[in-house]
Amino acid sequence: MRAQLVASLLRARRAPVARRVLAPAFVRYSSTHHEETFESFTERYVTFFQQAQDLFELQRGLNNCFAHDLVPAPSVIEAALRAARRVNDYATAVRIFEGIKEKVENTQQYQAYLDELKPVREELGINVREELYQS
Amino acid sequence: MQALRLARPRAPLRPYARSLTATASGHASAAASASSSSSAVIPLSNVEAQWEQLSPDEQLAVHQQLEEVQKKDWNSLSVDEKKAAYYVAFGPHGPRRPDNPPGTGPKIFLATVAGIAVAGVLFAAIRSQAPPPPKTISKEWEEASNQRALEQKANPITGISSEGYSGKGFVTHK
Repeated sequence: MRAQLVASLLRARRAPVARRVLAPAFVRYSSTHHEETFESFTERYVTFFQQAQDLFELQRGLNNCFAHDLVPAPSVIEAALRAARRVNDYATAVRIFEGIKEKVENTQQYQAYLDELKPVREELGINVREELYQS
Repeated sequence: MQALRLARPRAPLRPYARSLTATASGHASAAASASSSSSAVIPLSNVEAQWEQLSPDEQLAVHQQLEEVQKKDWNSLSVDEKKAAYYVAFGPHGPRRPDNPPGTGPKIFLATVAGIAVAGVLFAAIRSQAPPPPKTISKEWEEASNQRALEQKANPITGISSEGYSGKGFVTHK
């Protein structure tokens, strides 16, 4: 009977401890993926476009890159433009700027991209679509 | 971009043919001159206008011509060559043809307005040919009908002959 009493006391005392230990074990983390930062995204696609060796690979990368809910950084665009030069496809270079125009929110942002990439455009001789069809 | 991928698989046909002719070395130069002469037939400046009418072989020739052109320094390309390269790759033809060509909206609007106008004219024309309305549709006739109904004590519980009736009876004209 004494042993029973001790046991019941112990049980009563141990119960809150057990609950405290068990509670975190039931928390289930739904996802183990980490959020990719904009910087690591940029770095990933810059290296991708630097390594792209044919037109299909370049266009596949562009499709993936422009499918995210963000506008790719100018360094990514520059790498893609140089990849287009490497695979000798002028049309894709023009199309990249069309993609930027679709992705940005307003014309000021598009103009900012054009200004930022002006040295590359002049170096490679890329006209954007508006320049080609203005006349 | 999809059309470019669809269009490109045609291009490797030529290198294959070239490798076949390269084995017979005597024909190689003849084939090369033949392809260059056939591609020179189509001027790049006018590709946008005639692209739809070109046969698949001619389109292949233009593709190859443009591939060669795009290997040069892009600063040295003419605007026509740039436009041709862009049009062939991403122009509004094939799967990228717009569902409604430009100017469809105003055309639909004008056609709708014209249809409504024709219907209005038809309505007025038919109404002008109609006989006059019957003599019973007039204020005098309706008031006379009211008097006759009161004389005959028509509908005495809820209608025109009932006590405290405030309705208009048979009068429908204002």
